[in-house]
Amino acid sequence: MAPPSPSPARRRYRPIGLALALAAGRLGALTVDELLNEPNLTPKRFANYFDDFAYEYSGEVQPPEQFLTTRRGDCDDYAILAGYVLQRKGYQTRLIHVRMVGRVAHAVCYVTQVHAYVDYNNRHYFINLQRCGGRIREIANTVADSFEANWTSASEFTYAYAENKKHFGSTVVKTDDPARDPDLIHP
Amino acid sequence: MKDHTISRVLAFFLLISVVMLVVAVEAVRNINRSVASSDWVNHTHAVILEAEGLLSSIRAGDGAMRTYVMTGDARDLTACRDALAQMAEHAEVAKALTRSEPAQGLQVVHLESLANQRADVVREILAARRLDNAPAVQKLLAADGGGDAIREIQRKVEKLKNEEMALLAERDTAAYAQAQTTRWTVWLGVTLDVLLLAGAAWLIRDDLAARRRAATVLQTANEQLDAKVRERTAELGAANALLSTENLERQWTNQALEHQLRYNQLIINSISDLVFVLTKATKISRVNPAAVHLIGLEAADLINQPLSRFVRLGDGTGDQTTPMIDPIVTALKEGRDLRDQPVILEDRRGRRTRGRFTLFPLRDRDKVVGGVVTVQVNRAKTETTP
Repeated sequence: MAPPSPSPARRRYRPIGLALALAAGRLGALTVDELLNEPNLTPKRFANYFDDFAYEYSGEVQPPEQFLTTRRGDCDDYAILAGYVLQRKGYQTRLIHVRMVGRVAHAVCYVTQVHAYVDYNNRHYFINLQRCGGRIREIANTVADSFEANWTSASEFTYAYAENKKHFGSTVVKTDDPARDPDLIHP
Repeated sequence: MKDHTISRVLAFFLLISVVMLVVAVEAVRNINRSVASSDWVNHTHAVILEAEGLLSSIRAGDGAMRTYVMTGDARDLTACRDALAQMAEHAEVAKALTRSEPAQGLQVVHLESLANQRADVVREILAARRLDNAPAVQKLLAADGGGDAIREIQRKVEKLKNEEMALLAERDTAAYAQAQTTRWTVWLGVTLDVLLLAGAAWLIRDDLAARRRAATVLQTANEQLDAKVRERTAELGAANALLSTENLERQWTNQALEHQLRYNQLIINSISDLVFVLTKATKISRVNPAAVHLIGLEAADLINQPLSRFVRLGDGTGDQTTPMIDPIVTALKEGRDLRDQPVILEDRRGRRTRGRFTLFPLRDRDKVVGGVVTVQVNRAKTETTP
């Protein structure tokens, strides 16, 4: 559940303060509210906030404040938070889980309007949005290519912080006929 | 002659390019097939992993449920719920993975059904425990044949794994065969290309050797030609030198002849006897100054005049008419001399002079072409016109 909204004055100066804080080397911890109240938050600007976050795998999805405070997390934490924030900023987002050979499944958040996904592995790069097509197979191919790996299946899923549970939707299998992909038959 | 080497070499290189293209296309197709085979191998591993994940999450959920029943710790409850969520995820993914394999797909559906039954029991126990309903928990646990259910799921998972392992072996064999085909294709293509390159190299080398031989032959021919030209030039030089010498000698001879001719002319001109040169028809062709002087006509007027107009054989005592047969003509025809014959000369005014006539025929290759007449004049016996 999101905390109450700040006053208009605070809202006005918040981006400046946020920018100063970022320029000064992250003086304070980033919060979900700050992200939600960023007036010009785009997927790229969102990704820019995470360039100094560290990677730490956990089996469970961290609460967003914990992820932002500790500045440590994994692809699930990042993709789910991106989906949560960007959806509230008017973007249409899709969470995609890609299972690759010999690797932990990787999650990304695809943003339909920009035809790209945000990936925790790209947080350090200037180009932190990866453009690709909107089909699950296309996203899985691009993600697997970034790992230089083969993928076996990829699923679209949803997640609610309150429920703390992933709900898997369409699953695409690499060896299946692409024309029979579930997201193509039932978009 | 048209040079076929370039076209042959080009044909070789075209063939090499075609072979390379075919090998590349075939290799890429084989690689694609190999990747597809590899994908199927990975797919099979993924099914096995998901089945094992399903089993382990059921076990984990069951263990967490029993711990929670004993401790009532919320973390155990969360762990149990996570395990059940993971179980559902594994079942979902396994179902998706076996969509295209009906036999395995049915097994996964059955497995999911068993897992869901087990999850329902676990959730029921968890719900009773959360309500601290110990009797209900005890009753549920007593009625639960958890071990049997899990063993049944394990058997199903093992069966699925065995079938997937068989598929894995089959797909691995296919991937191996594809890799072998790719190797053979590439090596065959490379060997063929090397052979074709060797052929092209041989062709080029052979052509170069032929060109070298032709150049050598041409050089030899040129040298021989040069030698002949030099030899012929030398011969021409020698002939030219000889001709020059001969010309010089001929010039000298001509000069000598001219000198002799002038000398003879001078002799003829200086003698007091009259000299007439006659044609075969006894017409005067040349005269000496003594004849001009005696006859009183210029040499030009005398030329082409018949000799008989001025000279008549005889001493003037007999018949003065012209004889029917001219003895001069007869002597010339017969090619004999007339020596010391009496003759009467008549000048332009009709005055007559006696003299002695001699005729020598002129021959050219045994053929009489004319004659030379000399008349020795007796000056004292010049007569006036009758």
